[in-house]
Amino acid sequence: MKSVIIKGLANALISILGASLIIFVISRLSGDPVSLMLPMEAPKSAIDALRQNLGLDLPIWQQYLLFLSHAARGDFGNSYRWQMPALQLVFERLPATIELAAAAFSFSVLLAVPLGVLSAVYRGLWIDQVGRIIAMTGQAVPSFWLGLVLILVFAVGLGWLPAFGADSPRHVILPAISLGWYPVAAQTRIIRSSMLEVLDSDYIRMGRAVGTPERLLIWKYAFRNALLPLVTIMGVYFAAMLSGAFVVETVFAWPGLGRTVVEAVFSRDYPVVQAGVLITSIVFILSNFLVDLSYSLIDPRIRR
Amino acid sequence: MRRASLLILALSLFGSAQPSQAQTSGTNDTLTVAFAAEGTTMDPARFSAGVDQYFISQMFEQLVRFGPDLKPVNWLAKSWSIQGTPDKPIIDVHLRPGVKFHNGDPMTSADFEFCFQRLKDPKVSRWTHLQANVEQFEIVDDLHFRLHFSAPDADYVVGNLQLWALPKKYFEQVGDEGFAKAPVGTGPWKFVSRSIKEDIKFEAFDGYWNKDARPAIKNLTIKIIPEDLTRVAAFKAGNVDWIDAVPLSEIDNVKKMPGVKTFTAISGNNLYIDFPSYQPTSPFNKEKVRQAVAQAIDMDAIIKSVLFGQGERYEQIGKGSTGYDANLKPYPYDPKAAKKLLAEAGYPNGFETPCYNLTTPREPNIKEYGEAVIAYLGAVGIRCKVQGLEYAAWINLGRRGRNGPPDMDGVLMWMWGQGLPGDPATPWAGHLHSFVAGKGWGSYSYSDDKKADDMVEKLKGVMEPEQREALIKEIAQYAHDNVLGGVTTYRPVITFAWRDKVDFRPWPAANWRNFQQVGLKN
Repeated sequence: MKSVIIKGLANALISILGASLIIFVISRLSGDPVSLMLPMEAPKSAIDALRQNLGLDLPIWQQYLLFLSHAARGDFGNSYRWQMPALQLVFERLPATIELAAAAFSFSVLLAVPLGVLSAVYRGLWIDQVGRIIAMTGQAVPSFWLGLVLILVFAVGLGWLPAFGADSPRHVILPAISLGWYPVAAQTRIIRSSMLEVLDSDYIRMGRAVGTPERLLIWKYAFRNALLPLVTIMGVYFAAMLSGAFVVETVFAWPGLGRTVVEAVFSRDYPVVQAGVLITSIVFILSNFLVDLSYSLIDPRIRR
Repeated sequence: MRRASLLILALSLFGSAQPSQAQTSGTNDTLTVAFAAEGTTMDPARFSAGVDQYFISQMFEQLVRFGPDLKPVNWLAKSWSIQGTPDKPIIDVHLRPGVKFHNGDPMTSADFEFCFQRLKDPKVSRWTHLQANVEQFEIVDDLHFRLHFSAPDADYVVGNLQLWALPKKYFEQVGDEGFAKAPVGTGPWKFVSRSIKEDIKFEAFDGYWNKDARPAIKNLTIKIIPEDLTRVAAFKAGNVDWIDAVPLSEIDNVKKMPGVKTFTAISGNNLYIDFPSYQPTSPFNKEKVRQAVAQAIDMDAIIKSVLFGQGERYEQIGKGSTGYDANLKPYPYDPKAAKKLLAEAGYPNGFETPCYNLTTPREPNIKEYGEAVIAYLGAVGIRCKVQGLEYAAWINLGRRGRNGPPDMDGVLMWMWGQGLPGDPATPWAGHLHSFVAGKGWGSYSYSDDKKADDMVEKLKGVMEPEQREALIKEIAQYAHDNVLGGVTTYRPVITFAWRDKVDFRPWPAANWRNFQQVGLKN
């Protein structure tokens, strides 16, 4: 177990360094932020002075080394647009994105697991068909469109839920459904096929033969064994929700990190892009690391 | 039993959701509004874009401002005058007595001197060039100061004397960081709290000096909802009482809503099409080709169908702006004449050219507007190789004298706001005057005309209003006749909507998003 943790952490560190280099170079290749920061009539002397102030006149390798040394101390510089520490901005916005991703993730798992299990148990019957339709609808409908429809129905039409914002737990319901519906299809299919495989195994047949109650067979013996492939993909989907929440955040005016970073990309706000992407990468890598660790909890053979 | 519990849980969830409208919408003493975009700073010396004024203008004030009728009003300045000599003018300012900052400190000349110093400091300000001609700030007494200029500077007057009331003493106590967290101004609204990407909250300032034009409610919350349809949905659902920038396709629907009032106005931006007339090898170097462009585009049709009528045609200068001349009309749409002009210029079969279209929605339907223009050009033989650009790439392409790829070489959809009520001097210095490396002239210019250069340079020095108006008219006519500085197309129109329980009087600051006079009816 100890070696699994050490190896995982070493891999994580290498991945984070790689991500930092890629995002640093790509953000600088995308264009010059200085023209965007000054009024159109600003003379060249003002442009050059600002470029020097921001350290953008240095060779790129020197800028990267400076960035690394500062980042190691938690200093990502000040946001060009917001004129406040980029890391502070990211940490202020990150909890909202984690909250949204966690709610969406819970929604998708709570919908996908019963659908997948029931589809496997009642294979070919109407429940299986309904499960497939629900799951595929989520994958076929873009999240921004789904979000707008949910707003029109539940906020404007019925007045049950707020149209935007993040003021209370009720505000998370519509964005979570918009973000969480997409992965339901994949998760349902995985749990269904995995359950079918397990339900067809000898020990389940043996269980049935000796009269073990069906509910116990499905949920205690079959489901636990069918869980491993789902856990693998769950980590990826949670991380994808963290980094892909931008569209839903925009539709629902959700004050999350995704919106902040994407706007920073468009305004060439390097410090915020670097801090945002790096912190998201760290969360992404750590969530995958936790998934790896969870295998050994679910399947004791891996520990050995 | 378990199923019944689940049903009760689901019903209680929706039941508890019922009061959502009352929770977020305005109560008796709170107005909740929604903006599409938000400012990035609350420090007037640090603002970098027009959007920053959305918040700054609620709580900071200048010496002079424009009233609801777009006429200039002495605001924190009780009076001011231009003195000295024509070569070295002096602006003499007497401040309004009795004005206090939100923390109770009295406003004095030292606060404006402090603002001046901050605006001059390139580490703080993005607008140092606006103070370049002020060689001395002289404090006469607490309510009287003079600005000594090294050269005449009409931009200073056009820009409402540029300076803001910034609390020097408070800044010295709390520093830049403290000010950013708890800004203090003299305006009608006091800062309460801010959550980036979410909202900003203000409280009416009881000690506000202007008893005639002030808010009649206690609290103002500005929510940020960037998505157009969500903003409209929030308004329809009653989550907010007032919204800006009603999307073009929704304006008719919103206007038909019962109990809703709307206000439509010019937004202060000016759009035009530019081309490299300065390049000797470019077809656009020929005046007849430029005239052909001007006559090839049916802007009225574009405004009607692409912009849902939400645009105003203009020629060089918009209606109501300084130097507006009702007799100066846009070139008429005449595709036959355009083809003839192209043939006379040596292009009987037209020509191919790169065309650069802005795809970032800086104005509603701007990408579609550009596409329509490109289609009209193609119809007379100016065949575009179209390239869509997002905002940063577009700005980088447009700027002259940069390091990087070659200068723009085709048709470029561009914009440069003349502001509200509008003055063309700064935009003309940028795109009508030819590019002069390192001097600040023609930073986005594709023209090269000596007479235009001379007139634009002269305009910068004319501070007297009547002389200025006459010169602007002369320049506009010259630019029109020679099709210089691009072909002007339209000014975007913006629509605001609010519930009729809101008593809102639009002021033009921050492109009409200023809550100087607002209240809630009983």
